[in-house]
Amino acid sequence: MLKNVFKIFSRDLKIARRDSMALVIMIMPVLLAVGLVFFVPGLNDTTVNIALLDSDTSEHVAYLDQFAKIEVFGGENELMDRVAKRDDVAAIIPDGNGYEIILQGNEPEMVENYAKALNALYEIGATKEETTAAMYSFGHTVSPVKTMLVNMLISMIIMLSGMLIAISIVGEKSDNTINAVNVTPASQTAFVLGKSMMGGLIALLSIIASLIITGYYDINWFMIILVGLSSMLLSLIVGFVQGLASDDVIEAAANVKMIIIPIAGSIAGYELLADKWQWTMYWSPFYWAYKANMLVLSKTADWPTVLLCTGMVLVLSLAVYFFSRPKIREGLS
Amino acid sequence: MKLLSSYFKEMRIAARGFYFYIELIMAVILLVILLVAVNEESVSKQKEFLYYDMPPAVEDYIIQKEVEKGALKLIEPTEFKMKAVEFEVENRETDELTSYEFEKEIYNLVTYEEWDPDTGKLIKTAYIAETEEQMIRLAFQERKIGATIVIDDSGERAFRYYNQGYETERLVNLLYILHNKLPEVVEASVDNQNVRKLGEVQTLNNRENLVPVMVVFMGSLMGFFIVVAYIFLDKTEGVIRAFAVTPSSVWKYLLSKTMIIITTVLISSSIIAIPVLRGQPNYPLFYLLLIISTFSFAALGLFISSFYDTISKAFGVLYFFMIAMMVPAFSYFIPSFDPLWLRYFPTYPLLQSMKEIIMVSTDAVYVLKTSGIFLAGGLLLFILANYRFKKTLTV
Repeated sequence: MLKNVFKIFSRDLKIARRDSMALVIMIMPVLLAVGLVFFVPGLNDTTVNIALLDSDTSEHVAYLDQFAKIEVFGGENELMDRVAKRDDVAAIIPDGNGYEIILQGNEPEMVENYAKALNALYEIGATKEETTAAMYSFGHTVSPVKTMLVNMLISMIIMLSGMLIAISIVGEKSDNTINAVNVTPASQTAFVLGKSMMGGLIALLSIIASLIITGYYDINWFMIILVGLSSMLLSLIVGFVQGLASDDVIEAAANVKMIIIPIAGSIAGYELLADKWQWTMYWSPFYWAYKANMLVLSKTADWPTVLLCTGMVLVLSLAVYFFSRPKIREGLS
Repeated sequence: MKLLSSYFKEMRIAARGFYFYIELIMAVILLVILLVAVNEESVSKQKEFLYYDMPPAVEDYIIQKEVEKGALKLIEPTEFKMKAVEFEVENRETDELTSYEFEKEIYNLVTYEEWDPDTGKLIKTAYIAETEEQMIRLAFQERKIGATIVIDDSGERAFRYYNQGYETERLVNLLYILHNKLPEVVEASVDNQNVRKLGEVQTLNNRENLVPVMVVFMGSLMGFFIVVAYIFLDKTEGVIRAFAVTPSSVWKYLLSKTMIIITTVLISSSIIAIPVLRGQPNYPLFYLLLIISTFSFAALGLFISSFYDTISKAFGVLYFFMIAMMVPAFSYFIPSFDPLWLRYFPTYPLLQSMKEIIMVSTDAVYVLKTSGIFLAGGLLLFILANYRFKKTLTV
C-alpha cells in the first residue's frame, strides 16, 4: 500500500510543479512572514501621537518626544486638520501662559489621559532623573503582538493547505480520475493518504519556514513539530471534507469561507474571552492548535500542556473524520 | 433586455447552487455571533501583579482607601499553578543580573478589580503577591507587568517595576516619569489641564465597530474572489467561448455575473447590518457604497481572470491581493497605528467610509468622494476586462 501512497504523492508533486497554486501556497506564507518582520515594529510602537506647533519651544517638543510620537506643524489650521483626521492624535498648543490640549472628540479615553498626564508632568517640571521608580527586565525580546500575528499565520497555513487538498479533489472529480482510481490496485485508503501527503507536507514546511524567518529559532522545536503534525492532520481532514462536499471550485471557495468562521472564532475566543469563559471554545480543534502554538512561541509551554492540546486536536479532528467518513467514502466511490 | 434576461438566467442558476445559500447562512452565523458573543462595551483583560513592601497595616490602609473610593473591589482569590522554572532578571540601570529558581507550586492570590469610579468601567485586575519573589515569578510566567510598591524612610512611595523586556523606550520613559512627584501633585496638575474637543464625535460600540469590517471583507472583497471562481467555472465549461457565436455581447455576460455578486452581497450585508445598526446608518449612502465597491472589486476580479486559464494559475495573484487588502484592518482596530503607506490601500478609505456611514453625523462628502473614485476605477477595470475577454474569444 505504501508504494501506492507514494505513487499518488509523486503524481501530485509532478502536477504541483506545473501548477502555480501549490507553489503559491508554499511561497506566500514565507512572503507574509518576511512582511511581518518589517511590519510588527511599527505596530508595537504605539503609546500616543501628539501634534505640536513649530512655534512651540524646543524644550517642550524635546520633552514630549521622550514619551510620544511627535508631529510638528507650521500653523494652527494645519494642526487642526491633522487632529480631525481619522486616526487618534492629540494636539498640545500654547495658550496664554500654559497649554491647551485639543482633541477631535472620538479618541479612546487613554489618549486624552496620556496627553493630559504628559503635559501636566512637563508643567510641574518632572524629569526622568528624579524618578522614584526602578526598572527591571526579564529580557524577553519578542512582543505578544508579534507572537499573535505569527500564530495567526500558522492558522492561515493550516487553512490554505486544506484548501489545496480541497481544490485538488475538486479537480480529480471534474477529471473523473476518482472513478479511474477505483479500478486500479490502489485502495481508497492509499488514495486518501497519497492525496493528503502534499497538503500536509506543505503545511509543515511552511510553518517551519515562517518560524525561522520571523526569528523564533530558540523555541522548543520538538513541541512545535508535534503541534504542526497534529495541525497537519486537521488540515487534511478539513481539505478532504471540503473537497468531497464540493462539486466545483465555487462550492470549494464557499466551503473555505465557512471554515474561516471556526478558525477566526477560535483565535478571537482565545485572545478576547475572559479565563472563566475559555471553556466555551474547547469544542474547536483550531482553538487547541492556536493555544499550543501560542504557548510554544511564547516559551511558556510545558510537555503536559502541549500533549493535552495536541491530544485534543487529534481527538476532535478524528471525531470530525469519523463523523464525515460515510460522506468521504461516498464521495470516493 | 438581454442584460436583464442574462441576469435572471444567472440568478436562477445561482439559486440552484450551493454557494448562494452558503453566503446567506454565513451572514446569519455572523449576525448571531455579533449579537450573542460580542459585548457592546469592551471588557478589560489587563492584569498586573503587585507586592506591597511595607507593614501590613500600611498596606491595608492604602487598599481600603481605594476600596472606599470605589476604585478597588475585592473579588474571589485566584489560583495560579506555577511551573518549575529558572530565569534571570536584569536591573535596567546597573545591568546587574539576579537569578531565580523555583519548584512547582500553587498560589492562591488575593484579587482586586480596579474600576474607574467616574465611568464605571473595569480598568484591570490586580493580584496581590505575598512575597516579592512570588510577584516576580508570576510576572515572568504570566508575561504581565509586575510591581513592588515600597514606602521609603521619608514615608513616600517608591516603585520597582518588572517589565518583560520588549517594551519600547518611550513606554519605559513614561513609567519613570509617572513616578516622579507625589501622586497628589501630579493628579492636581492633570485635573487643571485645559482640554478642548473639536466636536462631540460619536464613538461606535464594539458590535457596531465590527460591521464595516464584515461588510467590506466578507462582502465586497469576497465578491472579488467569487466572481473569479464563477468565470473560471464558465471557462472550464466553455460558456465564454459560446458567446462568440451568440448575438449577446461579452460585456452583458460579464455585467450579469457582477450583478449576481452584487445581489448576493446586498442580501448578506443587509442580514448583518440592519439588525445590528437598526436606523442609525445613512442607508442610501451605505447601499451606494456597497454596490459601487462590490462592482469595482468584481471588475478587478474579471480583469485578473482574463489573464489566466484556470483558477489554479490565477491563485497567486488572487491570494496576494486578498491578503494585502486585509492589512488596513490593523489601522482600523488600532487607530494610533496609521502609517501613510497604508492609506493607499483601497480597503483603507472603504473601511473608513463604511464607518462614517454608521456614524450619526456622516461625513457625506468623504463617502461620496470614495464612492466616486471606486466607481471610476471600477468602470475602467470593467472596460479593460471586457477588452481582454473579447480579445481572448477571438483567439
